[in-house]
Amino acid sequence: MKKLLDIAARVSDQAEVFSIRNDSGSLDMRNGKPSDMSASIQSGYALRILKDGRIGTAYTKNLLNRNELVSNALDSLKGSVNAGFSFPEPSEIPESWLPDESVSSMGFHDLHSRTSKVLNYLNGKVDGQIDVTSGRGIQDMAIMNTSGLDFSRKSSFMYIFTSLLYPNSETAVRKIFQSRKAVDFPESELDGLVNLYVSGFPEVDILTGRMKVVFTPDTIYTILWRLAAAASGKSFYNRVSPLQNRREDKVLSDKFTLYGDPTDPLEVDQHFIDDEGVPAKKHVIFEKGIFKNLVLNLDYAEKLKEEPTGTGYRGGMWGGETVALSPVPSLVCKRIAPGDISFEDMVRSIDRGVIVMGVLGAHSGNILNGDFSVGLNPGFYVENGEIKGRVKDGMVSGNVYDVLNNIESVENRLHDSYAGGMYPSILLDDVSVAAK
Amino acid sequence: MIDRLRSMISDVEADFIDIRYEIKTETRIGFAGREIRNVGSNRTDGYVIRVGKNGGFSSATVTREEDVPRGLELAVEGAETIVATGGKKSVLASVPVVIENVKLVLDGDPREICIDDKIELLRRYNDLMLEQPLIETTNLNYVEIGREKHYVNSEGTAVSEEILTTNIAGEVIAKRDNLVQNIRVAIGGADGYNRLLSREDVFVKRAEIAAQLLDAEPVKGGTYNVVLSPMLAGVFTHEAFGHFSEADIIEDNPSLREKMSLGEQLGSDEITIIADSTMPGQIGYYAYDDEGVAVRPVTLMDRGVLTGRLHSRRTASAFGEPVSGHTVAEDMRFEPIVRMGTIYIKPGELTLDDLLAELGDGLYLIDGKGGQTSGENFTFGAQYGFKVKDGRVGSMIRDINIMGNLFTTLQNIEAIGNDMELSERGGCGKGQLNIKSALGSPHILIRNMVVGGA
Repeated sequence: MKKLLDIAARVSDQAEVFSIRNDSGSLDMRNGKPSDMSASIQSGYALRILKDGRIGTAYTKNLLNRNELVSNALDSLKGSVNAGFSFPEPSEIPESWLPDESVSSMGFHDLHSRTSKVLNYLNGKVDGQIDVTSGRGIQDMAIMNTSGLDFSRKSSFMYIFTSLLYPNSETAVRKIFQSRKAVDFPESELDGLVNLYVSGFPEVDILTGRMKVVFTPDTIYTILWRLAAAASGKSFYNRVSPLQNRREDKVLSDKFTLYGDPTDPLEVDQHFIDDEGVPAKKHVIFEKGIFKNLVLNLDYAEKLKEEPTGTGYRGGMWGGETVALSPVPSLVCKRIAPGDISFEDMVRSIDRGVIVMGVLGAHSGNILNGDFSVGLNPGFYVENGEIKGRVKDGMVSGNVYDVLNNIESVENRLHDSYAGGMYPSILLDDVSVAAK
Repeated sequence: MIDRLRSMISDVEADFIDIRYEIKTETRIGFAGREIRNVGSNRTDGYVIRVGKNGGFSSATVTREEDVPRGLELAVEGAETIVATGGKKSVLASVPVVIENVKLVLDGDPREICIDDKIELLRRYNDLMLEQPLIETTNLNYVEIGREKHYVNSEGTAVSEEILTTNIAGEVIAKRDNLVQNIRVAIGGADGYNRLLSREDVFVKRAEIAAQLLDAEPVKGGTYNVVLSPMLAGVFTHEAFGHFSEADIIEDNPSLREKMSLGEQLGSDEITIIADSTMPGQIGYYAYDDEGVAVRPVTLMDRGVLTGRLHSRRTASAFGEPVSGHTVAEDMRFEPIVRMGTIYIKPGELTLDDLLAELGDGLYLIDGKGGQTSGENFTFGAQYGFKVKDGRVGSMIRDINIMGNLFTTLQNIEAIGNDMELSERGGCGKGQLNIKSALGSPHILIRNMVVGGA
């Protein structure tokens, strides 16, 4: 990296090198049997150079020719992409935890053993098919720039993802368990999943209408994608955000607080620096319904004359190759502040409504405007405080700025979500539900 | 390269080994509004290894050549572990040994066009959209992706093939007060740069529709009879039916596999669905898949009867059905999985006016805005639509998403139009992105669709 940075520094005003290496493995067990085991050793390097107020970028996964990479970045400069920001200087960054040996040494047999424990525990408890996927990985990330930043971080993770399928379908209730260490899926969490699964029988027809709707932790991303798009510095800079000129306005219910906190000790991917070298910290977007802050990377912070928020990450809505993606404003390690009611009491409080357990089509629709219209996959129908079964062919629709002003209650506990982040369930009133 | 790949796998003790080496090139240019946000050309590479041993099958991907031996070790370990833990036995269907080098045929090679010309073409289309009334901003990108693939297996097959796709795609955003509406735009293909030229009318039209959406009303949720436009019917075909025709989706779900038995009458008599990646010029075109098998057209459904399925060598053997050459990876970071390539509904005999007359009252929904499937359930969004009363097209509607069950919906397809359109840009996510997923259809009429809305 240092050699690459030195070459780049000689032909630019400022330069930055980002590198990443992932060593990972995964196991799929479908219908009780190992069906796929795969391994991956992937690396990559991204270069950014600043010269005369313009930015040039280049990447490669395989650093065979440093001069070619620098040459690609210089060619990129010819596009005259404006950039008025500077790469950050080093700052005080807390010590990160080290990768756990139990994950570093984990082989396919270990993955199989922990996955089989889940299957054995669930055996006989559900009628349908059980699918379990597990994985482990070690990641090395480093970032170095001509302002003196020289940072590296090594981390480990493992996950077990359990799906309980309803008969004759792929519709399922699902739960993910993640850890920095090699550990087993907690049995209490599996018991909770089984209880939910059983609640989903039978399949019921419901009438189209407006009713109460619960977004569960694994489906709340439907709403958060819309808010994230609106709070992004990119949307503000392009003057298309519905939150334009609404800072410090109360735009949502006072029961709603949204923030990102990469420094949360509970976060498997806990970190203290973003992908541009800016210190990461708790960053509040909505506090008790009041719109507080934008989500910015270095570029949009400079363009909007704001302070960087430590939220510049190399990622996109659909993932993608990390080094191929330039840092964009991204709220990671998201949290919604808990409320004061248990999930069970929340369900008991519903006269007529739907619990959204899984969604199809969260990416469809006018995201920037806050509109959503998602298929229930599955959704549970509730009448007089009791779950009556899973809805046949139903959709939930609305606009986040309307429905988040009708929050009835927020669960008092946060849960890991397989879409990333930790959230409570949220009960909304008067939401449109379409059904056959 | 082929000889180097052969030597890399020559000493591995296994029943089957293959290795794919890819060089991937990308050129990307991006505009956000009038501002150019991204320009760059990059080149990278990597290896994908698969091993079959004693019935176990496993894979590994590595970036660097020095990691290939470790990748081979991990793939062997994975295959052995599957056997040792009572996992799924895999047998590969027999296929002819092939030695071939497939050359690109292009109408205008984008690699010979300088970056400045590409920027200017993109800027011209972008400016055209920005000049239309009520347009606030745009996101418009030029993307050129090349894959130079070299494939070798232990049976003797050695195939090299180069594929290259280009497109200009993005969105145009209209705004009035706090109401924001967007419409997608895409042109492109796999047959060269010239396809991108002289397409100004497309961009102007899309900007006009975005502006008109500011006056459209949100659709009211409920159950409707609908006519779908060719691109939207194509999304239905891809999302609802196409993924279910990919053998690996249903392979390990016995109840769904039973439902999808060949010979079953799953749809109405009206519908015939074909997967054909052999049509030259289409975005979904290729000669050999990523396990060295020549792709062939497959009639998946013939007048409502399930007649074919898309396969890898492994799933073809497991199902006892013929291989089809549909095992495709996004790039050198991924093992190949079963993908559909070009899929479309065969045209019928009715004009759009005939279909609307037959619809009577309902909705005419136009152009896809993404879709998703989970088993037999699917959703997809329409970019816009119109109310239809007594067969006449009325006011414009927005915020349209549709949900359905595959088996019910296939039975509810009532009529097929006589027109036909195929997409110019792919982009299907099934764990990995397939930029060569082309789809298309004539207009079609479906009864009783659940439409989400306000």
